[in-house]
Amino acid sequence: MAMKPEDVLKVIAAHRGEAICVPTMTTGPAWREMQPEDFSVGCVGFMGGASSLGLGLALARPERRVVVFDGDGSLLMQLGSLATIAGARPRNLIHLLFKNGVYHTSGSQEIPGGLVVDFVTMAKGAGYKTTLQIGDLEEFKRRFPKMLTEEGPIFAELITTLADKTPMTDRRGVPFDQQAGKLREKLLGAQR
Amino acid sequence: MPESIPAPLVIDALKDTFKEARAALAAEGWRNPTSPYLGWILSVPDTHQKTVLAALDKEDTIKTVTCATEDEACTIAAGLHLGGEPVVLMIQHAGLYASVNTLRGVSMDGKIPVFYMIGLLSREKDKDPKESRHSMVRFAEPLLDTFSVPHARLEGPNDVHLIPEYYRLSRQRKGPAAVLVGLETT
Repeated sequence: MAMKPEDVLKVIAAHRGEAICVPTMTTGPAWREMQPEDFSVGCVGFMGGASSLGLGLALARPERRVVVFDGDGSLLMQLGSLATIAGARPRNLIHLLFKNGVYHTSGSQEIPGGLVVDFVTMAKGAGYKTTLQIGDLEEFKRRFPKMLTEEGPIFAELITTLADKTPMTDRRGVPFDQQAGKLREKLLGAQR
Repeated sequence: MPESIPAPLVIDALKDTFKEARAALAAEGWRNPTSPYLGWILSVPDTHQKTVLAALDKEDTIKTVTCATEDEACTIAAGLHLGGEPVVLMIQHAGLYASVNTLRGVSMDGKIPVFYMIGLLSREKDKDPKESRHSMVRFAEPLLDTFSVPHARLEGPNDVHLIPEYYRLSRQRKGPAAVLVGLETT
């Protein structure tokens, strides 16, 4: 079973409330259309950094949930972040991995190990509080709202198909510095 | 001749830096986030600064997070900054070399202020770093120059004032700035 990433994002959008979201790569275009002006910042220009960016936000803002939309190829670039996140123990961090087994934006070359790579076992071994794999949309609909209240860090490997759009086929993305500036203003301004 | 800097001096400078950063945030009209810490250290443990790291272990007011890589440290710093938290990176020159793409993408292109304290492990006391026989010492300043990252050397106890100064500079220019720790701290 595999879920359409756009369907997964719709579920997240319906339940995330004021959670900060960190999309990366193939989830970027669809998320931008669904949630254009919100507490989100896309990981653009430093592939592999979504989990670390999410960790920093989670540590700075323990009162908010932070949801990272990672990719399997992206996470492999900074796999050590699993241990760093587990060591920092952010109770408010949800790390979602959109697993499709390929580098979608560059032409769908298989990632090292392809779909065999078991990220759930890696996250569990690193010390995440909760780890799970979900390949069914109905199960994700049931499970995601609970993640928003459970103690983190939570890691969920989501078995997904390819997204309809990628940052290469839809180039309307906003540069990272502009997204980051807006998010900082919102986060700090919310306390003014 | 360069001199080693005692860890307590560095710790005091870090505390002053964090206090100033929070005051600056308030002066800009923002309310500081509710945090139990003055500020954050993101460290990929550096042998050169090990006495400072040991002293930080005993500090309740500064939170240290050990990172697996310098790429992570730089990007975690971005997240903390977006949330309003002051942060300093403590790494080694080799880690700077390993993470220049993240420095470029996150701090330079992303316009995120990131302040580095970089240990010059193996720097010879009687030589200028540019004349070191160790490439990892020799190339640190030229690399920072190539990326137009402002930097200064901490060559003794009288230089600790450069820590808040270069931290402030990173905020002002919305990008990276660094100080290089010349000799192993005591």
